[in-house]
Amino acid sequence: MVIDDSRAMRLILRRIVTQLGFEVVEAGNGREALDLLESMDQPPQVALIDWNMPEMNGLEFVTAVRSQERFRQITLMMVTTESEHGQIVRALAAGAHEYVIKPFTPEAITEKLALLGLVPSGTMS
Amino acid sequence: MALTQQEFAFVSGLVRREAAIVLETGKEYLVEARLLPLARRTGTPSVSEFVARAQRERALADQIVDALTTNETSWLRDREPFSAFTDSVLPDLAERRTPVQKLRIWSAACSSGQEPYGLAMLLEESLKSSRQYEILATDISAEMLERAKTGRYSQLEVNRGLPVPMLVKYFQRAGTEWQVSESLRRNITFQKVNLAAPLPPVQPFDVVFLRNVLIYFDLETKRSVLRRIRSLMRPDGWLFLGAAETTIGIDDGFERVVAGRASAYRPRAATTAPVGATRKG
Amino acid sequence: MTSPTTDDLQAITEQVWLSYLDPEGTNPFLPSEQAPTMPCVIAAVSVTGAWEGHVVMSFSTEASKKASSALLGMEDEEVTTDDIADAVGELVNVIGGNVKSLLPDGSLLSLPHVATIDEGVNKWPAAVEVCRLQGSWQNEPIAISVWTSKSTG
Repeated sequence: MVIDDSRAMRLILRRIVTQLGFEVVEAGNGREALDLLESMDQPPQVALIDWNMPEMNGLEFVTAVRSQERFRQITLMMVTTESEHGQIVRALAAGAHEYVIKPFTPEAITEKLALLGLVPSGTMS
Repeated sequence: MALTQQEFAFVSGLVRREAAIVLETGKEYLVEARLLPLARRTGTPSVSEFVARAQRERALADQIVDALTTNETSWLRDREPFSAFTDSVLPDLAERRTPVQKLRIWSAACSSGQEPYGLAMLLEESLKSSRQYEILATDISAEMLERAKTGRYSQLEVNRGLPVPMLVKYFQRAGTEWQVSESLRRNITFQKVNLAAPLPPVQPFDVVFLRNVLIYFDLETKRSVLRRIRSLMRPDGWLFLGAAETTIGIDDGFERVVAGRASAYRPRAATTAPVGATRKG
Repeated sequence: MTSPTTDDLQAITEQVWLSYLDPEGTNPFLPSEQAPTMPCVIAAVSVTGAWEGHVVMSFSTEASKKASSALLGMEDEEVTTDDIADAVGELVNVIGGNVKSLLPDGSLLSLPHVATIDEGVNKWPAAVEVCRLQGSWQNEPIAISVWTSKSTG
């Protein structure tokens, strides 16, 4: 699941993870993403989450997902320009598993997913 | 001032010979953009004059190769050798060494420093706090060593295969960059070493990382490099090579062993009584 | 807290280019005296809170098109005005976000705003320029500047 209010960024991320063999669903903010999660038979393996979005931001989304037992299996990865040390610590404390700072190269996303065991490390560039 | 055809030909010939990278005509602007910072740093008034100096001064030619071939390298993305290091090798060494013995690790082609700092993070996370360690980080490029020593990395670099808990624990923001903490830096010594020449005398190592270096050497050089490295290893030490590299058919003094999901190499005598490792090949 | 400098802008811009517009590192943004003239495309984000000001990118029309097609992976002639708004809006958002990380804690970033200016006025009243990076990419001019309101600067 790709959650970002920018269509351009959703497109970039979709391109990267599609090449890794993932199927992608998109949401434009945290609220839309939660609604989408409710409607899915099977939750996604991983969510790539922007921080600053209207309605519900990425941090609130992470907190909401972490509070529900049935979403335990979803790996949460922030993908955001927020890069202050303290902000990263906040996201981890809220329950995010990984963190990529924008701008990022495709390898950065692939390698973080490999660290999380979501793609085999043999598929590296 | 634009580069002349001759100057560009010198630069493209240089990177083709040294790094097998082809710079086609038309990339003059790229050469200029990458070399301008070097010219400024060395107090040379123009890129043209910097190129002229580089034709006489080997060190400057090396800087040109670095500037035109450097890509961001990843920290710990190759999971297999690093988990073999923490899950098989360190427990093995903890058993074989007395509690006060310092573990000695050699990162033999450290490039911009991601490997030695990454190893230091793994050691900090895995070892008992009473166990001391030291890392020797060497490279053939003085420019690379200078960079590695500063411990400063761009945002793009810290995005590459560095688990975020390690980022927040061992780095601080420094302007647009990130600075490696003193707790890691104090255990690492940086030194310029040419692996293809006789090595300086040092205490033997418990673990050597020599990844993606042998591929650049011919068979004879590979053999002499491996022999020299073996002479600087403890008899029960461990060597990690790149995934596409091996000692097999090059140096019989090493035996391949399986460590976790990775292959490692150990001086042959050590494998008669393997601990924490099984034979393979 | 020191203000962002042209060197900071240069470091950020280089990373944005390598990530999204020039992954091979063969078409870098080249700083020069050249600046976009009208008509141009302006993309801006505002910073509010602990620090107040704007981060502004301006593109020649052609540069905005090239940047958008590179970012979105499209052909130049396929790019619509909506694509340009999304793409350059995201570029200034990422650059602005990175500038924000150099500013005091408690600074907030607005949503991006993108406009085409054919002629006339393009001003940031009550703000002074802190730093500027300008140059060309694929022979088309682009400028990036940071402005702060006079009271907090």
